[in-house]
Amino acid sequence: MEFTKLFSQSEVERVHEASLEILENVGMLVRNQKAMEIFSKNGCQVDMETMMVKFPREVVEKARKTFVPTYTFTAQDPKFDVTMPGDRPIVVTGSSAPNIIDPETGEERRATSDDIANIAYLINELPGFDVFSISTLAEDAPEGQFSLSRFYPALKNCKKPVRSNTPNMEDLKAVLDLGALIAGGEEEYRKRPFINHHYCPVVSPLTFDVDSTEAVIYLIEQGLPVYGTIVPNAGMTSPLSLMGTLTLGNAEFLGLATLTQMIRPGAPMIYAVLSTVADMRTGAYAPGAIETGMLQMAHTEMARFYNVPSGGYIGLTNAHSNDAQSGYETGMNTTGALLAGADLFNMGGLLGSLMAFDFAKAVIDNEIALMLKRMKKGFEYNEENLCLDLIAKVGPGGSYMDLDHTMKNMRTIAVLPKVATREMRRRWEDQGKPDAHSRAMKEAAKILSKPNKSRFSEELDAKVRGHFKGLVAGDAKWGI
Amino acid sequence: MVFQGIIKSIAAGDAEQSMVLTQRALAQGFAAESVLEKGLIAGMDRVAEKFREQRVMVPEVLMASRAMHAGLSLVEPLLESSEKKSTGKIVMGTVAGDLHDIGLSLVKMLVMATGIEIINLGVDVTPKKFASAVRKERPHILMMSALLTTTMTMMKDVIDELESLGIRKNLVVIVGGAPVDAGFAKRIGADYYFEDAFEVRAFLVENLTKLISKKSR
Repeated sequence: MEFTKLFSQSEVERVHEASLEILENVGMLVRNQKAMEIFSKNGCQVDMETMMVKFPREVVEKARKTFVPTYTFTAQDPKFDVTMPGDRPIVVTGSSAPNIIDPETGEERRATSDDIANIAYLINELPGFDVFSISTLAEDAPEGQFSLSRFYPALKNCKKPVRSNTPNMEDLKAVLDLGALIAGGEEEYRKRPFINHHYCPVVSPLTFDVDSTEAVIYLIEQGLPVYGTIVPNAGMTSPLSLMGTLTLGNAEFLGLATLTQMIRPGAPMIYAVLSTVADMRTGAYAPGAIETGMLQMAHTEMARFYNVPSGGYIGLTNAHSNDAQSGYETGMNTTGALLAGADLFNMGGLLGSLMAFDFAKAVIDNEIALMLKRMKKGFEYNEENLCLDLIAKVGPGGSYMDLDHTMKNMRTIAVLPKVATREMRRRWEDQGKPDAHSRAMKEAAKILSKPNKSRFSEELDAKVRGHFKGLVAGDAKWGI
Repeated sequence: MVFQGIIKSIAAGDAEQSMVLTQRALAQGFAAESVLEKGLIAGMDRVAEKFREQRVMVPEVLMASRAMHAGLSLVEPLLESSEKKSTGKIVMGTVAGDLHDIGLSLVKMLVMATGIEIINLGVDVTPKKFASAVRKERPHILMMSALLTTTMTMMKDVIDELESLGIRKNLVVIVGGAPVDAGFAKRIGADYYFEDAFEVRAFLVENLTKLISKKSR
């Protein structure tokens, strides 16, 4: 598959050059002490007073030399391990929404650890999803267990790679303890680190924060999997031009990448973004806008120049229900990103610009994911697939319906959707005119009303619960 | 159990096995009628059920009906000739301007197993051609198919032609095809619409005797 290109080679090089100029002349504000020290030790000009760090171009270019082209998400069950770019597109749920659309009432409310358990089980079963990024927060988290109340139900109910963040080092270490406990020891865990950490250490414009940066440094030092997402918002935290936001975002990626390679040359990274354009009528955040897709496509082209995997939060929606808007925003932006060659799609399950998880949205996004994967698989160009013998055999006026060739291909050539309707109107009317949302809810209910076979064993669960006193129940249960 | 074997071979679309087992059943002394009913037709019923539950796809239905026909070819000559005649006659075709016949063939394949006689006029059949076939063959049922939204209106022309010749009255008119629905069937004065070949078959299995006896010749 040839990828869509937005820029000529010289334009791509100019964006890179311009990013170097920004890092060299404007620099970045680095609020994290350790980061400042690392930058200082590795050739940056650091003003410890003002926390301003300037990056000579040769420092950035040196870091570039150790970029690696692949990134792996490790799973509890090795059969779910995925590596970019080979396994692209890697489809991930959207994460850390405070709310959920209650599956029973349809009303938005605060999400809980029980919700996370249900979501984890659902994502484990939906074949379009490759990675479970913990979709919501847990309102019911006991004191001191903010992150454990998210990671425990997630890891207990989903054997796919689990991804999320932690707010501070204490939580991060508790989560790593949990990982070691599940793996049967720290050494075992380090062989297959199935918790995949993600942070947004760069706050646009051009600023490293304190806590996320601390976590990122720690994890890179430890050799554990971590990557960051760059999140400029045009008109607010980056220039209100697509080129300006692309270039600023690219400079921020290079800043983070330089830090990463300074700590551990060859550490895997993802060029991940959520570059958006603010809706200047109100200042509203607009991750579902078409410009998000355009910016993702451009960043992906830059990532290809650097030869690192790319992607980000792409396919989000501002819609509050599973209506046409939620479908076209997710559909159009992910299609653009796929055609440009993006590897990673943080897209599943969230409504209202990352504010609320919805079960039906996750099922619909699973179907969109399967469509994207179909598109990526492409035409499978080869002589045999031209079917010349078959075309001659059937001849004009014949039928291909009852051929062995058709039988052989009928389950693999086309996506066979569970949400999209293909029925004639009468039958659809007979069923009560179900829309995509209600068909998707039915699929979710079908999955979640069966017991979860991928759950922790009783023995492991007892061990975990013995270690962390007062842990939430973390069991998937579907009452509808 | 030989009937179970026949049912399985049809569900698997294995024509060779279906013939072997049908032959065996007949050799074991089972009557042709019961081989047809308990073996071949029961096999297609199994496939129909799976199709409804979306456990098999259309190409598999075609393979299954082919397997059923392989068995039927052995059974048919042995059926009582009187019985064959009494089961009725269908004239079918795709309307003028329309060359699509996959659906039509599928209906034919599935309906044939009921033992009914079928005269398939093929594709691009004009109202005059339909009318003259009805006059000549005196069928119990006329089945029309259309795939195109632009040709489905021809069905009305056919019915009008039959009316004007005075041969519509004792004829059961069934219409089908992707753009057709029950409302359209009613509007143009057809008697029945069915969504797929299995619906037609189920309807005929249930009502054929009634339809035939009702008709005064």
